[in-house]
This record gives sequence, C-alpha cells and structure tokens, in this order.
Amino acid sequence: MGTVHAKSAHGDSVGEVGGGLFEFEEPLEMDDEPISKPTIKLNGVRARVDRVHVDGLNRTKDDIIRSTVDDLFHATDFEDVILRAHKVRRALDAMGCFRDIGVFIDVSSGPGATPEGLEVTFQVRELSRVVGGINTTVSENEGNLVLGVKMPNVLGRGERIAAEYSMGYRSSSNFSVAATKPFPQKPLVPVLTGTVYQQNHEYPWSGYRLLDRGALLDIAFKTSPATHHNVQWEGLVRDTSVLSKTTSFKVRESSGPQMKSILRHVVSVDHRDEAMFPTRGTWVQFTSEVAGLGGGVAHVRTELLAQANRRLARDLVLQAAAALGVLHDVFGTELADHFFLGGPTSLRGFRQRGVGPHCEGQATGGRLYWAAGLHLYAPLPFQGSRTGLASLFRSHLFANAGCLAMPENSGLESLESLKLVRVSVGAGVVVRLGRGARLELNYAVPLRAQPHDVHAPGIQFGVGANFL
Amino acid sequence: MPEFHLTDSIITQLNAQEPWPDNVKLFQPYEVEQILLPDNASCLAVQAFLKMCNLPFEVEMRWNAEFMSPSGRVPFIKCGAFVVSELEPIVQFAANKGVSLCGKLSTEEKAEMRAYMSLITNVLVNAELYISWVDSETFNAVTKVRNSSVYPWPLGWLQTRAKRNAVIKRLKALHWYEKTIDQVLADVEQCCNSLSQRLGDKDYFFGNSPTPLDALMFGHMRAILMSSGARAGPLIKRITSSLLRHLLRCINVTHMTLTTQEEYLVTQAFQITRRRLSPERTASERSTRMKRSRMSIRNASKDTIHSNSNKTFLVRHICLCKVHFRLV
Repeated sequence: MGTVHAKSAHGDSVGEVGGGLFEFEEPLEMDDEPISKPTIKLNGVRARVDRVHVDGLNRTKDDIIRSTVDDLFHATDFEDVILRAHKVRRALDAMGCFRDIGVFIDVSSGPGATPEGLEVTFQVRELSRVVGGINTTVSENEGNLVLGVKMPNVLGRGERIAAEYSMGYRSSSNFSVAATKPFPQKPLVPVLTGTVYQQNHEYPWSGYRLLDRGALLDIAFKTSPATHHNVQWEGLVRDTSVLSKTTSFKVRESSGPQMKSILRHVVSVDHRDEAMFPTRGTWVQFTSEVAGLGGGVAHVRTELLAQANRRLARDLVLQAAAALGVLHDVFGTELADHFFLGGPTSLRGFRQRGVGPHCEGQATGGRLYWAAGLHLYAPLPFQGSRTGLASLFRSHLFANAGCLAMPENSGLESLESLKLVRVSVGAGVVVRLGRGARLELNYAVPLRAQPHDVHAPGIQFGVGANFL
Repeated sequence: MPEFHLTDSIITQLNAQEPWPDNVKLFQPYEVEQILLPDNASCLAVQAFLKMCNLPFEVEMRWNAEFMSPSGRVPFIKCGAFVVSELEPIVQFAANKGVSLCGKLSTEEKAEMRAYMSLITNVLVNAELYISWVDSETFNAVTKVRNSSVYPWPLGWLQTRAKRNAVIKRLKALHWYEKTIDQVLADVEQCCNSLSQRLGDKDYFFGNSPTPLDALMFGHMRAILMSSGARAGPLIKRITSSLLRHLLRCINVTHMTLTTQEEYLVTQAFQITRRRLSPERTASERSTRMKRSRMSIRNASKDTIHSNSNKTFLVRHICLCKVHFRLV
C-alpha cells in the first residue's frame, strides 16, 4: 500500500511519499453532502486533490506510481478531477501490472485538509507473478496450439517476460521469449522489447520450408496519439529447405542456411474507430527495411498499406484498401524475401500466392507489386443481426485488383510489367476473431488473369490478420 | 533433409528411360576453398564414373550444393527434371538409361563389387570423416576454415558446429568415434591392403574395363592425395603402389587432370619405388623407407606440402617433379 500526499497548500503541488507504506488506510467517511437533484455544473465546483491513495501495491515500485498519479494534483475543479482520475486509471491499466482498478473520490479530512480538498483512492490488485495459459492461434492458414508463460511486472516497473511455445498442425514447432520494458514517463512513451525466437513456416505453394532462428530488438514509441513507430533490428539465421523431391529446381537453388541482419522502421497512422470492422477513418502503415549490415543478404524493401473507410448509410460501410511493395536486391536475396500475392485474404479468386511468376506450378514471387481492394460491408441480412453473436459477422461485396512482377531490369521499364492487372470480384461473409484476426468465406470469380497465374474460382476460405 | 516419396520414385522409374540429355549438370561445393576430404572423394568418384561411361556433363560449383541435394550429400546431378544424388543412385540412374559399366560382370562379380564398394564406404569414408571432423588438428587447421569459408560470421561457426555434431553422432553410432587416430589409420591400411590384393597386377578390379568400384576407389585415392592437414601424410602413406598405378590408369581413361600436388606426390612415389627396385641403394635410403608393400614418401617432401610458409620450395619441387613425371 502506498500513499501519496499533496503537502503544498498551493495549486502547484508535487506529490511525494508521505507516511509509511504500512500506514492504515484512513477510514472512508460516508457523510457525503446530499447532492441536490437538479444538475450541477461539475466544472463550476472548485476542487483540489489533497491526497491520493493507491491500495494494493505489493511489488510495484512507488516512483512509477507516483509519477503516474502526479497528474491528478493539477486538477482545479471537480470535473477535472474525474477526468484526470479516469486518465490515471487508464495509465495504470496500460502498465499491465494490475488485474482490476477501482477509483474512489472522497472529500478529504483530517489534518492538513483544505476546504475544497478531495482524496482519491485507487484500489488495485496486482497480477500474480507468473501467469500461464494455453490457447490456439491462427496465422497465415495454419492453426497452432500455444503454451504461454508470462511474468508480468517482474522488476516492479511494468517490465514483463513472456515465453511462448507453439505446435502447429503441420508438425512445426515455434518458440519465442520476449522481454519488455516500458518507459511510461519518458517523452514519446517508448517501449523496449527484446525477443529471441525460432519459427517454422511451410509454404507448399512455393515448395519450400523455412526455419528461422533469430533475435529482434524493438523500440516502439508514439509521436502522436494515432502515430505509432517501431524501430527494429532483427538478426536471423534462415534455413531454407525444399518440401519434396518434385520441387522445382529454381526453388531448390535457394535452399541452404542464410544469415540476415535487418534494420526496420514501421510507422502507422491509425484514425479508424476500430481495427477489424471500422466504420470511419483511415489507416496507413509504411514499412521500410534495409538488410545487409552483416549477414549474407542485402536489400532494401519498402511496403505501404493503406485503408480508408466511409459510412454510407446506417450500417453500410465502404472500405477501400491498397498495398504497394518494392524490393531492391543488392546481393543474396532469395525466394523467401520476395513479395507474394494472391489468396483468400489478399487478391481473392486466386490461389494462395497464385499471382505472378511460377516455376513448375510453384510461386517464385516478385520484387514489385501493387494491389487494391474495394469492399461494401453490411450486417447479416436478418433480424437481430446487430447484437449478440451476430455482431461478429458481416457480409461483404468486394472487388480486388493487383499485379506482381519480377522485372529483369530495374528502372522505368520495370513499371511496364505492373500493367498486367489481375481483377476478381465476389461476395462473402466475414467473421472477426478477437481483435486481431478475421475469417472469411467468399465466393470469388477472377475476371482477369495472366497465363501463368493459378486461379481458384468459387468458394474460398481464409484466415488472416492482414487483409486487402 | 532426405525426402522419399513412393510416387516420386515411380515417376523417376517411368520417365528415366529416355536417353541421356546433353545438358546434365553435376553440382558440388567449391573445389578450391570449400570442399572437404569426404565430399571431394565422392564428387571425384561420380565425375570419374560419368567420364568412364562417356556421359557428357558439366560441373557446377555452388556454395549450397549440400543443401540443394535431395539426400543432403554431395554431389548430385540434374538431368532434365530429375535430381539424383550420390554415386550408387547415379549408377542406377545411368543403368536405367541403358548405360552401365558392369554389364559384362557375372552375378557373383557384381556381388563382389558391391562388397568392395561397401568396404570403401564403411572404412575409407568413415576414416575420412573421422580425420576431417574428429581429429582436432585437421579440424582446426582445415575443416573449420574450409567449411565456414562460404558463410558470413558467425553463421560459419554455427554451421561448422552443427555439422560436426552430426558427424560425431554418426561416427558414434558406427563405433568409430571411440577409435584413436592410430586405429583409424590401421583400418585404412588394412582396407588399402585388401583392395590392392584384389587388384594385384591387373589394370582394373574386374576384367579389363572400369567398373563403378574403380571410379569410387579412384575418387578416394585422388581426394587423399589432394588433402591437406597434419593427417594427410600418414593417410597418403597407406596408398600402395598398385593402387597408385590404378589411379594413373583411371586418369588415362577419364582424361581428368591431376593437380600439382597430386602430380608431385605421384612422381615422388614412383621415383622412390624405382629407386627401391634398383639394386644399388644406400643404407640411409633403406632406413627411411616404410614397410615393403607401402609406397613411401620422404618426410621432408611431405612436410613441404603441409607448411604454407615454404611455398617457394614446394613450387621448385613441383617443377622438378614435372620433368621427372614425363620420364616415368
């Protein structure tokens, strides 16, 4: 239990730890003045915060709590107190140290109480030292069983360690251990993360399998509430092997271990009201990476993803999405670095990775691509589809277009190859899975395709986090 | 890494009967800076086999040949849509196309040939693996450097460690890991002895035309002569003169060219044998010789090969040897 007192009688109060950690909580006095029924202008009621109590602190350090609640002492009227208390509550919640947080506001009493003084009490429950869990995840058309162990708030300042081990149904096993350290008081609110991982991926559409072992250092920070930056360094050893004896020789040529060192910057600006089924707002994500500071692969890779949403009628949402990618190879860039296009969550109506160059039926990817999608979302067409379970569903009409190319020569001529547009249209049902992924069941018809593309007209089913 | 599918092998069987195409490529690691003794032996054996069969092919060197190979071992050939690795499957593949070196052999001779081939795989290959990966002197001076030469740091170190562990695991399963270097060399000696006994004064192991066994033996002898490191000398000493003659005969058949180191060693060996056969020889010369049936090389010449600092001396020697070689 920690208690924070405001000592100075003036407005510019600086919080400091008063009393002892073992001081009993002052009894809450329930003699609230009877508030008259007619509405009160809360911002007219002058108030100042005398004391802030935080109950239930065990291993969380005081300094981090103190600086978080500090904001409350700047309140000048009652409405301000409530708003700031709410903000502090959210900040405490974002620390990821507490299970639930209650807020009580009371008039202050006892020695040192000012006439319009208030006492704010936060009742928190810390998370246990070790949290374990078993869950299932779905990623890029593979389901995984995930065993996870988390140690929240290890050192008392919101640091956490998370370890995860997952088994996929394609007999692949992955693990990752991540240590995170937030700096909530620093400008731009940076979060530092270090991860060590091993990942297995199988790409039957291209006939190869990847085993990635690597380390990732990530600094996430915000330059505005909607602008999120990630600066990352990733060093990995990638083992590429072919899936079968009949794999095309072009794919076979790129097998073998490779080391890659990547510097990456991701910036995203999100003005949407919600990530999965937004009704308004735009979202832009720009990723640029440079590989080649050490290791055997050097390239520059940039990718732009954008989305815009607009509500047409009450529940009718029009969504436009676009994606663009350029890869410039310096040396050592292999198949796994290329862009691929096609599949039930990108260019629908084509097989997974079905667009672009193929070698003996196996996608070999490209260095340039663009893709666009236009969706019209509506709730399911029956009664009560806006509440309950049915609110997780949407029906949609879509049109996709895109092109993936592997130009021989760079420069302006390579842009010519991007004119070979593929188009598909269709309709289907979308289900959201939590906050991060969605499941689609579509009927798609490819309207324009190139000779070597592999199309998949008809019913298509896909799961993905990113979609076009 | 090895993958086998029944359908694959059936397709291979069905489609393999077309004639040998012209654009066959043999993939192997880089000969100068990367390849290791056991891999070099098998690559040279396959090359020799294809040359003995008069099958046209092109050698292509790739840093990742080992990982491209369907069995994880080098060399492998790409023939149209087919990828076949290692000597015995390649022999089988060529036989499917109607090219065979053991057509004239009787069933017993074929069985005998297989027995000798498995003797080579069981003894020489394991000994080469032992010397390359277990013997610490060779591992540190040669294997580590060559194996990691194609990777950036620290991937080379990781790869070498992983491969060493895999080889040690294999040798442990075959009870070779517990042997000492002397035991390994004794095994090699025994193997060479029995092979040269089988060879005797004949040109080839079976009849008067080469067989896959000749190709395999030739590959191993050449790889040993090309090898470097502290154990190269003791290994080379185990080569008998009849095996050396066999090597030269195979060179003539395959039209392959010897490296300068090989040329030098072969010339030295023949010089010594000739000197030994001549009646007037000094006592000191006799004392430097090894056992009677062994070809022997003077220590001084062996040392020059292994010390890089003394390159000029080696080059001078080689120039002299070339002259000698023509005389022989």
